Amino acid sequence: MSVFTLAQRERETLLHKELSELTEHHRARCAEYDRILSASGFTSAATVADLPWLPVRLFKTLTLKSVPDDEVFKVLTSSGTTGDVSRIYLDKAAAATQTRQLGATLQTVLGARRLPMILADSRGILKDRRSFSARGAGVLGMATFGRDHAWALDVDGNPDLPALKGFLEKHGGEPFLIFGFTYLVWLHLYEVASEHGLDLSNGILIHSGGWKKLVDRAVSPVEFRRRLREDTGLSRMHNFYGMVEQIGTIFLEGPSGGSLYCPDFADVIIRNPQTWAEQPVGEPGLIEVVSTLPTSYPGHVLLTEDLGVLDGVDDGDWPGKRFSVLGRLPRAEARGCSDTYREVS
Amino acid sequence: MRFRFGEPGELAAPSADRLAVGDPRVVDFLSRFARKLLAPAVARRHPELGSLGFFLRPAELSRVAGRMRRSDDTYVFPRGNVFHVPPANVDTIFVYSWALSALAGNHNVVRISSRSAGAAETVLETLNATLADADPVIGRTQRMVTYGRDDALTAALSAWCDLRVIWGGDSAVEAIRKHPLRPSARDLTFPDRTSWAALSVPGWLAADPDARRRAVVGFSNDAYWFDQAACSSPRTVFLVGADPQGARQVQEEFLSLLGEVVVERGWGVDAAMAVEKRVNAYGLAASGAATTLAFPGNAVTAVSLTGPDVAPRRWIGAGAFPFAQVAALADLVPAMNRQDQTFSHFGFEPAELRAFAGALGGRGVDRIVPFGAALTFSAIWDGYDLPHEFTRLTTLET
Repeated sequence: MSVFTLAQRERETLLHKELSELTEHHRARCAEYDRILSASGFTSAATVADLPWLPVRLFKTLTLKSVPDDEVFKVLTSSGTTGDVSRIYLDKAAAATQTRQLGATLQTVLGARRLPMILADSRGILKDRRSFSARGAGVLGMATFGRDHAWALDVDGNPDLPALKGFLEKHGGEPFLIFGFTYLVWLHLYEVASEHGLDLSNGILIHSGGWKKLVDRAVSPVEFRRRLREDTGLSRMHNFYGMVEQIGTIFLEGPSGGSLYCPDFADVIIRNPQTWAEQPVGEPGLIEVVSTLPTSYPGHVLLTEDLGVLDGVDDGDWPGKRFSVLGRLPRAEARGCSDTYREVS
Repeated sequence: MRFRFGEPGELAAPSADRLAVGDPRVVDFLSRFARKLLAPAVARRHPELGSLGFFLRPAELSRVAGRMRRSDDTYVFPRGNVFHVPPANVDTIFVYSWALSALAGNHNVVRISSRSAGAAETVLETLNATLADADPVIGRTQRMVTYGRDDALTAALSAWCDLRVIWGGDSAVEAIRKHPLRPSARDLTFPDRTSWAALSVPGWLAADPDARRRAVVGFSNDAYWFDQAACSSPRTVFLVGADPQGARQVQEEFLSLLGEVVVERGWGVDAAMAVEKRVNAYGLAASGAATTLAFPGNAVTAVSLTGPDVAPRRWIGAGAFPFAQVAALADLVPAMNRQDQTFSHFGFEPAELRAFAGALGGRGVDRIVPFGAALTFSAIWDGYDLPHEFTRLTTLET
């Protein structure tokens, strides 16, 4: 069963209705959100693109939730590069929905059965409390979609060849799942696998995280796919894009590679950063993500600080928009008399 | 450590050189430096250096030096060794601080940030070009250096100086103050500040279109030159007048003129700054402090506040203007505190401003200046009479 089924027109009709209702739902339950919309003069949206977006960083500076305190079931946090932390409030229903929809999205490429799984990371990250929230939580979250896990790195972060060999002897003849952050897969799994001739041809790689560290090593997404396929036999791989502020919603790379696709309950809008109008195919801009999953906090329409570009609409592996992430918007920095001393002390 | 200006050598070593208050060798150096800054090519590239050149013109130098001297039997001497720690991002403030101290005859060490750029680099090039023909005492007594995180050096300079001048806000003051001074020395600190603008609603309505436009041009220079982040940059605009309807009209006219001026000047803000402003404006709305938000373009963000008591004291982005309405200037007095520095104004009668200054009673606000003059540096700054701070007195009774 796939959650990548809706062509753009049907998708927008459906999302416009559901997201408009969600906007009203959050206005009625989150006073801060209602005040922001009132002050901005928002009444209603004629299209999905007209819906009022919140900058994703707002979840780092404000407490925004649409459920009473006693119904908060889980608070998710993300550590950003600046040390601020997003706080995302889930009630029981929202927590269940996000897990279910993430599962449904991944099942599109993994199938319904739980597969043996290689984690391209180190068990050590679960012990380091500082890095746990970001990387550890991501790995643990994904680990539930596999079974008989093997860690590609030992506790000290060095490649664990015996663990990989043992896993492949046992499971290498049937489909198996590999998950990891893109640069870790490249640095620690690809290099070990190609050096020792490991056969990953039955693997399905799910990976996430920016390309920046790889671009610095002159590894493009195309090069990444080509080298993995030629040197390890791995041919099925899917990058994904997602964020804790829209937990459960991931934009998944299609089977033929290159573009990210939106699940039926989500969409992206690329905005011109000067006019904030919607950009046409091929014109880069800021990525706005919309999703019907956030019911317990007003995160259904978010402007990210990532730059992206629309690659096409209804013309790829799956229906709907397809897009690429180009990088991150640099943080605004003040000149000024103050806040300037950090470099010294 | 890198020497940016002056003779390389041990910074904290004792020196046999002596300068006098208003020393002719310093005056000569500063005048020639100022002339180079006023060259059209420089002033075009960095308008703020034109202001600096104007401040250091010979007539102003002799006026300031004159204010340092006294006619009674009191001798005015340089304070001694001065260690300046200017902010990284306001390119020119270190020059004002240093020049006044040099004029007072002090031996100076200025720590130039490694992040300095643009106008600061031009200043250093110009200073060095001027040094070639100057009396060698200038290079021996006036030094500017860049060094990274080096607590030992900061500590040595702190122990060397008679006066330590710390710009850069609260965190800079706190960080530098960890290093002890000699018992006889002291700090001159420039902590975090907030600055405001006030528009008289009747004054605006009575002004002709030219005067309104000049006011907006002056205000836009004040606000945009340092991304609205200098300590003197106006942030919240108070609309002062008894008639709320009139205040709303003035706000709209003011914003629409501001939008025009910003377009004419070609000032824009990048996407990151536009997002930063949204985050801050939405924050003000979420807390209930703001009733309406307007984003007519990335360069101008307008926020209507419920009152002056909720005016933000932290920087909320370049080209972000909260507005708050009050009936009279006197109503602003309770909202002012010691953090407040510059209060720039348009459309008020001198008597209104005098009454306001008196009513403040020292609770806050160091400068009350017309629109367009917020960033104009003066020898009296942050409530300090700097020429006075940079000198010491010997009294004589015969």
